[in-house]
Amino acid sequence: MITFDKVSKIYQRDWTALDDVSFHIDKGEFVFVCGPTGAGKTTILRLIYKYEEPTKGTIKVMGENLRLMKKKELPKLRRKIGVIFQDFKLLQDRTLEENVLFALEVTDTPPKNMKKKLMEILTYLRLSHKKYAFPYQLSGGEQQKVSIARALVRDPYILLADEPTGNLDSRSSQDILEILMDINYKGTTVIMATHNLNIVKKMKKRMLRIENGKLVRDK
Amino acid sequence: MALRIGIREGIRTITRNNSLFLLSLLVTSISLFLLSLFVLVTVNLYYAVKILDEKIEIIAFLDDHANVQRLMRNIRKINGVTDVIFVSSEQALKDLQNELKETEAVLNVFEKNPLPASLRIKLERSFRNRRGLTEISNKIMLLQGVKETIYGGELVDQLKKITNIISAFDIGLLIIIIFSVIFVIFQTIKLTIFARSTEIEIMRLVGASNSFIAIPFTFEGVVQGALGGIIAFILIAITTHITTSIISVVYFPKLYFFIGSIIFGAFFGIIGSSVAIRKFLK
Ligand SMILES: Nc1ncnc2c1ncn2[C@@H]1O[C@H](COP(=O)(O)OP(=O)(O)OP(=O)(O)O)[C@@H](O)[C@H]1O
Ligand SMILES: [Mg+2]
Repeated sequence: MITFDKVSKIYQRDWTALDDVSFHIDKGEFVFVCGPTGAGKTTILRLIYKYEEPTKGTIKVMGENLRLMKKKELPKLRRKIGVIFQDFKLLQDRTLEENVLFALEVTDTPPKNMKKKLMEILTYLRLSHKKYAFPYQLSGGEQQKVSIARALVRDPYILLADEPTGNLDSRSSQDILEILMDINYKGTTVIMATHNLNIVKKMKKRMLRIENGKLVRDK
Repeated sequence: MALRIGIREGIRTITRNNSLFLLSLLVTSISLFLLSLFVLVTVNLYYAVKILDEKIEIIAFLDDHANVQRLMRNIRKINGVTDVIFVSSEQALKDLQNELKETEAVLNVFEKNPLPASLRIKLERSFRNRRGLTEISNKIMLLQGVKETIYGGELVDQLKKITNIISAFDIGLLIIIIFSVIFVIFQTIKLTIFARSTEIEIMRLVGASNSFIAIPFTFEGVVQGALGGIIAFILIAITTHITTSIISVVYFPKLYFFIGSIIFGAFFGIIGSSVAIRKFLK
């Protein structure tokens, strides 16, 4: 599903964020990417949905070499990948409902299915009662859930979750983790970046440990 | 579907960012107004030239005993002549009196009508220049009963030269103004795009195609251009109304200007916004 082959990422001013990282993730896997702040976790996720380009190495996602991918193909790739952003990236002038709906509108979903999907996901995440609220009227945790709803509403092949429990108390974190497990159980490949080792240890899943841009452990 | 959403998004941009939109609309209206004003002046210029051009004619003064009917028939046969009008000496006197109302007394000095009868000869367009005038005039001079012909050959060529220069200048200026209008719309749409850049970024992250992102801005450009066109038309209508009361004739085909303003406004809007969004999405 996802292959990194000797990937390095050097940001401008010679800052090496990733250094010679190689790994392979199979379809249907659940993988944690962990490491301290600034280790390069977000960078790995960004490379997968082609928000950043690797300085060196090759990345393959769903059988496609991202470097060779045409510009026109990029939206199609992104529609197959759901991303829960570390900073949510919600549209501030739109309600919760509109923010989620938006992800469906950019694809070619028929309007009938849209409403149904929307209802389902909001019920699933227990957000229905706030669907007319704007992001600034929501708590940090609620906004995070909106971001999750937007990523899941399209049934992505790959779900990239960047610190999805960062703003949640331990109970809500547990809820979110269960949701991610559930999605993974239904067949979606899930990659979750976090620096919360407690969660990782409890889950007994594969873990890629990143430190200073290097992959130091994969088990 | 995408179009419907695109238009909804376009309306959202306009209504939410309404002060920016109003400002853009104002700037667009003013530049479209300048453009229509220029077109109006040009149209009037051509109109005036056309009237002058139609006035180009040969006048043949006749002998007292000339056979007018036969002369007219023969002149009509000359290649390039479209019409011949007979002006009797009485008519000529009357015309002169009309022109010189106050100086009527001067004419009373004469006991007998001193003006000869004449023929006014109208020409085809391609003959309304010095060569054509001379050629036809020479042929007329050969006919019996013609005393003299007059035509403003030198003047006609001078006039043609001036109008040629003016139209070249005019087209150059027209192109410059059109590009300025497009540039203005382009710049204002660019401002709207920058005001929404985080939003566009998010759209792209969730997989919106470029055309999906472009539709709302193109829509905004069209609305801005068409509304600007309507406002420009209102301004130009007011302007002509005022000018007409100062200088007597202004040629102003209202319907053409109205439709033209909207269509060209919308068209420039499409071009301006497309260029802006394309630059941004590159
Ligand atoms: N666009 C950028 N330009 C320059 N440097 C960057 C850029 N993005 C990230 N970096 C740097 O690359 C390194 C890795 O960043 P990254 O965001 O991947 O870390 P992270 O592991 O996600 O950290 P956190 O746990 O705080 O989210 C950091 O040192 C960061 O400063
Ligand atoms: Mg991060």
